[in-house]
Amino acid sequence: MRFKDIPIRRKLMTMVLGTSGVVLFVTCATFVSYEFLTYRRTAVRELSTLGAIIATQSTGAVAFDNPRDATEILSALNAEGHIEVACLFDKQGRLFARFPASAPDGDFPAAPVGNGYRFVAGRLEGFTPLVQVEGSGSLGTLYLRSDMRAMYDRLRLYAGIALLVTVISSLVAYVLSRFFQGQISRPILALADTAKAVSDRRDYSVRATKDGADELGLLTEAFNHMLAQIQEQNAVLEKRVRERTAELEAANDELEAFGSSAAHDLRTPLRAIQGFTEILLDPRAGELPPTAKRYVGLIRDGSTQMSQLIADLLSFSKLGRQDLTRQPVPIERLCQEILREMESGYGGRRVEIQVDRLPDIYADPALMRVVLVNLLSNAAKYSRTRDPALIKVGVMRQNDGVNPVFYVQDNGVGFDMNYAGKLFGVFQRLHLPHEFEGTGVGLATVRRIVERHGGKIWAEATPDAGATFFFTLPGG
Amino acid sequence: MALLIAMARGRTWRVAGRFWIVCCLALWTSRAPAAEPAPSAEYQIKAVFLFNFAQFVEWPARAFADARAPLVIGILGDDPYGAYLDDLVKGEKIGERPLVVRRYRDLAEVAGCHVLFVSRSESDRFPRILSSLKGQSVLTVSDADTFSREGGMIRFVADNGKIRLGINVEAAKACGLIISSKIIRPATIVTAGKD
Repeated sequence: MRFKDIPIRRKLMTMVLGTSGVVLFVTCATFVSYEFLTYRRTAVRELSTLGAIIATQSTGAVAFDNPRDATEILSALNAEGHIEVACLFDKQGRLFARFPASAPDGDFPAAPVGNGYRFVAGRLEGFTPLVQVEGSGSLGTLYLRSDMRAMYDRLRLYAGIALLVTVISSLVAYVLSRFFQGQISRPILALADTAKAVSDRRDYSVRATKDGADELGLLTEAFNHMLAQIQEQNAVLEKRVRERTAELEAANDELEAFGSSAAHDLRTPLRAIQGFTEILLDPRAGELPPTAKRYVGLIRDGSTQMSQLIADLLSFSKLGRQDLTRQPVPIERLCQEILREMESGYGGRRVEIQVDRLPDIYADPALMRVVLVNLLSNAAKYSRTRDPALIKVGVMRQNDGVNPVFYVQDNGVGFDMNYAGKLFGVFQRLHLPHEFEGTGVGLATVRRIVERHGGKIWAEATPDAGATFFFTLPGG
Repeated sequence: MALLIAMARGRTWRVAGRFWIVCCLALWTSRAPAAEPAPSAEYQIKAVFLFNFAQFVEWPARAFADARAPLVIGILGDDPYGAYLDDLVKGEKIGERPLVVRRYRDLAEVAGCHVLFVSRSESDRFPRILSSLKGQSVLTVSDADTFSREGGMIRFVADNGKIRLGINVEAAKACGLIISSKIIRPATIVTAGKD
C-alpha cells in the first residue's frame, strides 16, 4: 500500500514515530560513536590521573625506603577494579613495591621505560615518575597496567542505555502521537464523513461542523458554503423546471385540444363529401356518364384516405394524453395473433412468417398492439412485390446486455438510409403514394409509444433488399 | 723503563734511588687527602634520606636569601658520609635551589644551614646545640639514641635492618618548618622527653 493511501491517523502517527525514532537513533548513535572514538584518549587520561595520584602518595614511602607503606598505598588500587598490576621502582630502578602483593616478578617490566601511558597488546600501561618537588629529580617510578574491561563495560552500558532510552522514548512517542494526531485527523475525518454522507444520500441540507479557525476550519466553511450554493441552485432549477413543464403542458394541451377539435371539425364536411359521393355512385340515383363516374370514384377514394388520415391523427394525438398502464404482455402471442388477423388481407400471395421465442415485457398492452400492428402491416405492405414475402420477428441482446432488442424484418423494398431520419416523422413518407399507400403517421405513432415507454426505435435497410426495425422497451 | 735500565747498569744508582723516592712521594701525595673508605650501607641510606628531607620539608622564606639561594646540608661533628653525600647532591636541585654540603667542627661555625646532621660524636653537647638552634629554621637530624629526648627533630632509628624515622613534629613546627605528612605517616611521632 502506498504511503499516500494510508489513513490519515496512521500516517500522522507514523510520521511522528518515524521522526522521533530517527532523531533518537541519530542522537544515540552520535553519542555512542563519540564515546567509542574518544575512549582511548579518555582511558589514557584516566589512567594518567590515577598514576599521578598514586605517584604523589608514594613519594615519601619510596624516598624513605618504606616498602610496607608503599605496598599499602598501592593496595588502594584495588578499589579501581581494573588495574591488573602496578609497581613502584626506586630511584635506582629496582622493583620496590608491587600490586597485587602476590604477583610474580614476571608480571612487571624489568625497569622503568619512558614516561606516559600507551596501548600495548590490548592493554593500557605506562609509567609515572615520583616527584615530590617540581623541578627536582624523580625519586622513583610508578608502573600501572590496566585491562580495558572498564572501557568495554562502559561502552556496553552506553549501548544498553541507548537501547533502553530508545525503547522508552518510542513508547512515549507512540502514546503522545496517538493522542495528538487526533487534533489534525479528527476534523478531517469528520469533514470526510460529512462529504460522503452528502454525496451518498444526495442530502444537501447537511452541514459540517467547523472546529477551529485553521485551514481545516476554512475548508469546512467553504464546504458548507458550496452545499448551500448547491441547495440554492437546486431550488432555482427545480422552480424553473416546474415553470417550463407547466408551460409545456399548457402548450401541449392547447395543441392537442386544437388537434382533436380540428379533426372533429374536419370530419363534418368530410362526411358530407363521402355521403354525397355515395349517393352519386348509387345506381338508384341514375347512371352517371362514365367519365363523371370515374371522377366521383376518385373523389370518394380521396375522401376515404382523408378520413383515414384524420383518424390516424386523432389516435396519434390521443396518445399524448393517455396514461400508460403497464402489465406483463406476451409479445410472442400478440405477434402471432396479429399475423393471423392479417392473413385475410394477403390476397393469396405467399407470405412466410417466422416468430422467434420472445420474452414477455412489461408494457401497456393496447399500445403494444398498436406498435406491432403498425410494424407488421408495414412489413407486409412493403414486401408485397416479393414472392415469397418474408417477415421475421425476433429478439437479440443489446450491447449493454440488459434490455432485449426486438426487431421486425422484411424482404421488401427497403429504403435509402440517407433518409432514415425522416422515417419516423409525422406525415413523412419515403415512398410515393401510388407505389405504397399510407398516411405517414404510422411510424410516428410507433415511435411515440416506444419513447413513452422509455425505449428507442431505429431502422436499418438496403434499397430493394428489405428493412429491419429495431426497438427496445426498458422495464420489460 | 729508563730507570730500570739505569738500575740494572748500576752506574746512576743514586740518581735512580732519588728518583724512586720522588716517585713514591708523588704517588703518595697524589692520592685523595684524608682518603676515607666508602660509607657503610647504613650511612649510604642515611645520606639519601638527608638529601630527601630537602624535598619533604618546607622552610619559611626567611631561611633563604632569595629564590636561588642554595639549600645547605650541614654535618656537625664526625662525618660518617664522606664524599658519598657530596656526590649524591652534586648537580641536584630542589626546585631552583642547588644543594650544598658543609661540614662544621664547632657549633659556632653553624650558620645559614637548613638541614643539620648532628653526629654521634656531639652526643653530650646535644642540649646546648639544640637550644642554640631554637628559633632558627634548621632541621636537626641525628642517629644518636638520645637525640629525640633532647629535642631533636628527626632521629634515624634502626629497626629490623630498616631505617625508620622518629619525628618530633612539634619541635619542627616551633621552628617554622613544615614536614610533609608523607613522611610523618609511616614514621614514629615522638615528643621531647621521650624516645
